[in-house]
Amino acid sequence: MRDTAQDDSLVLDRRSFIGGAAAAFLMPVSLGLTASPAAAATGVGAYIRIDADNTVTLITGQTEMGQGIGSGLAQIMAEELMLDWAQVRFEHAPVNPAVYGLPGWGLQLTGGSTSTMMWYTPLRTASAKAAWRLRAAAALTFGGTQAQWSLVVGGKLRHATYGEKTFASVLGKIASTSDPASVSFAGTKRIVGQGVRRLDLAGKVNGTAKFGTDVMLPGMVFASVVHCPTITGTVKSCPTSAAGALAVVNLGNAVGVVASNTWAAMRIANSLQSKVTWTLPADLSLLDSAALASKAQALQAAAKPANLQVFETAGTPGAGTGKLDAIYKTPFLAHACMEVLNATVQVTKTNGVVSKVELWLPTQGQSFIAATVRSVAGLANLTDAQIKVNSMLCGGGFGRKIEQDYVLQAVKLAVAVGKPVKLTWSRPQDFKNDKYRPYASMRVRMGGDANGITGLVYRNVSASITFQQGTNPEDTGAVAGAVKLPYAIPNRRIEFAPLPTAIPLGYWRSVGESYNTFAVESAIDELAMALGQDPIAYRLRMLTADARATKALQTLKNSPNYTAMPTMRRGVAFLRGFNSYVALALEIALDSASRIKVTKAHYVVDCGVVINPNAVEAQMQGGLVHGIYSALYNRVSFVNGVPQVQNFSNYRVLTPRDMPKVTVDILQGDPATAMPGGIGEAGVPCVAPALAAAWHRMSGTRVRELPFHPGATMSDD
Amino acid sequence: MAQISFKLNGVARTVTVDNIETPLLWVLRDLLGLTGTKYGCGVEICGACTVLVNGQPEKSCDESIGEVAGKSVMTIEALNSDPLGAKLQAAWLQHQVPQCGFCQSGMLMAAYGRLKAGESRASTASGLSNICQCGTFQRVKEAILSLPGVA
Repeated sequence: MRDTAQDDSLVLDRRSFIGGAAAAFLMPVSLGLTASPAAAATGVGAYIRIDADNTVTLITGQTEMGQGIGSGLAQIMAEELMLDWAQVRFEHAPVNPAVYGLPGWGLQLTGGSTSTMMWYTPLRTASAKAAWRLRAAAALTFGGTQAQWSLVVGGKLRHATYGEKTFASVLGKIASTSDPASVSFAGTKRIVGQGVRRLDLAGKVNGTAKFGTDVMLPGMVFASVVHCPTITGTVKSCPTSAAGALAVVNLGNAVGVVASNTWAAMRIANSLQSKVTWTLPADLSLLDSAALASKAQALQAAAKPANLQVFETAGTPGAGTGKLDAIYKTPFLAHACMEVLNATVQVTKTNGVVSKVELWLPTQGQSFIAATVRSVAGLANLTDAQIKVNSMLCGGGFGRKIEQDYVLQAVKLAVAVGKPVKLTWSRPQDFKNDKYRPYASMRVRMGGDANGITGLVYRNVSASITFQQGTNPEDTGAVAGAVKLPYAIPNRRIEFAPLPTAIPLGYWRSVGESYNTFAVESAIDELAMALGQDPIAYRLRMLTADARATKALQTLKNSPNYTAMPTMRRGVAFLRGFNSYVALALEIALDSASRIKVTKAHYVVDCGVVINPNAVEAQMQGGLVHGIYSALYNRVSFVNGVPQVQNFSNYRVLTPRDMPKVTVDILQGDPATAMPGGIGEAGVPCVAPALAAAWHRMSGTRVRELPFHPGATMSDD
Repeated sequence: MAQISFKLNGVARTVTVDNIETPLLWVLRDLLGLTGTKYGCGVEICGACTVLVNGQPEKSCDESIGEVAGKSVMTIEALNSDPLGAKLQAAWLQHQVPQCGFCQSGMLMAAYGRLKAGESRASTASGLSNICQCGTFQRVKEAILSLPGVA
């Protein structure tokens, strides 16, 4: 990646630009957009920039947070423009949801494994149009007709008479060309489908990569915050100064401390917690895990809980020799990104009035930042043009950095102190003030025989993210992984009963599937075991209507990596989600502390069109790690509103020594659909049910409540 | 105010701090602008802040600047100055180890410190205790085990 800020000043005067008027034609046709006059004047609005040195840069609204999206999308561009991979770059775009927002949603955000799915066709189309117009520009620049010019690998154009010319040499005429009526795609799979090296690695091995937390500005001061020990408590009164602090600021939901360095700010903020008078939330029972678990249990027993939503209505538990009535439970979880929440903000005043707010931050939620800025006193009238967002590399996101709490605090601090401020949360504050993965209780009632499940009644009782946000009357996310199952189960009733809670909730990698897939796949495995059926064969018998699902599971069953795992230590699970198919088998053993450890894992993935198999493999490896440490060790409990988590010390995660050998088979997707599925989240959901399945075979005990080893710490090996 | 002198990436430096308890991590990041070394946990668990102090991997979040006086510190920014460090970085690229990349400075410095001290590739690969929430561990190990010319 390049440093966007530095580039801008260089670029406008001396190098050619596909932008300006051309931007209109590079917009994805599926959006039906036309260029706004403002966009045309500034060049903002282009996805593709060609520099004088013939490097070609994809400008993307999708945030690079480790998943490799900048490189993956650049591959799509590079394929159509027949680029040499060495000349390709990517940059984070400015905020402009009309141009850079997800084509399916119109929002500039990164989440839901949607980036590749939604951009694939629009970006291919935009790139193919650019290729067509570069040929037209070559004709205008050197002679001949558009059709006589062809693309040559390496960002070049060739004509029988005029020879080879670089893209850069024809850009002077690009604004005089117009969009073709239709485009055809290169389709050579020269770069798409290859495991080309991602573009952001060099800075990540030599320390020069700039994450949000690495922003340095002249005259900058450093800040940290302390929140109420009882989550969601607010500041009633606080000291207005503290020894060693440059400023102490009441932020409403926290107290901010500004100092000459981050460590001093964190230390002073921590020392102030007991000196602040906090207003506690009114009903602590809504903030207590034990009380919430009791309520969830009652809601599972109730005939018709309040606000019950029913998604598939035909169900009865079904007849058959096999019966299951079980409740599965999954805990509140933290996001625990390696990079704690942080944001740097500079406020500029003109004649004493704020005229510009500039932010540098790791964010998955660009669309929401302007409204966050305007919500601060005195900033309500700022225009979009007066709010500049620099999206930095994200040191992990997992859903947490779509939220605006840290952004709001940083803007308030910058307004209060009148200097550039970098806000950095301490790790304990990050853990204790998360937007947690909801607690879920899932009751599965099913009947079946050796041929399959005959009926399913499913009730998810969980703390609903959308209910808490008040935005969605129907919470489809809460039942994701339980509805539209791939299995041919003749009658199904899928219910969702919201569990009232005041614990702040958020989207956590794989969201609904992170808990519903645990319940559904565990239940299927239990029934198969009870009926003496092979877990894969049993599923295959119910996958009569989905050839891709069948192929994924059949491939797993036939893999030597699968058959080599001892049956008494092996567990299997399957997911159809995020427009992808994932079959997972893992092998377990006991570690020296008699805890479960994963010794091997094998994934079979069908994610449709594969952009980069190396990235798919990386996401499965990472998804496995995320799934293992979450299922085995972790929960965030709340006692009367106080989160019982401190740091990684009591939120156990994995280290290299815990890593099992992972193998990944990537299937070539159905050519008929020819679309990519999501991979950023798809590796996570199968891990917990596969662990439970393996443990059942190994121990004779079925674990239905996660985590397996609550209370595990980082140091108790 | 106190003045502390130490060697940083081979160059003699003197810094002025108002508290000698200030951790080396924050002197590097906030005072000297060397942001390659990361804050992850602040309690010596995650390893994102790992640097070498007198050749030993240390968690700089809990190494006060006062303790560093007169010592030699090496950070990620100088890793390529040693052929072994450069080799390690090349292996990281070859195996496409980083995802988000936030932990990788510390991961690399921890691995480098062990290898530099003569620890074997196998022992280094299985002995690292750095946290990576993207889960890059398999590739970390593969990269270390692939190093040419290292025992």
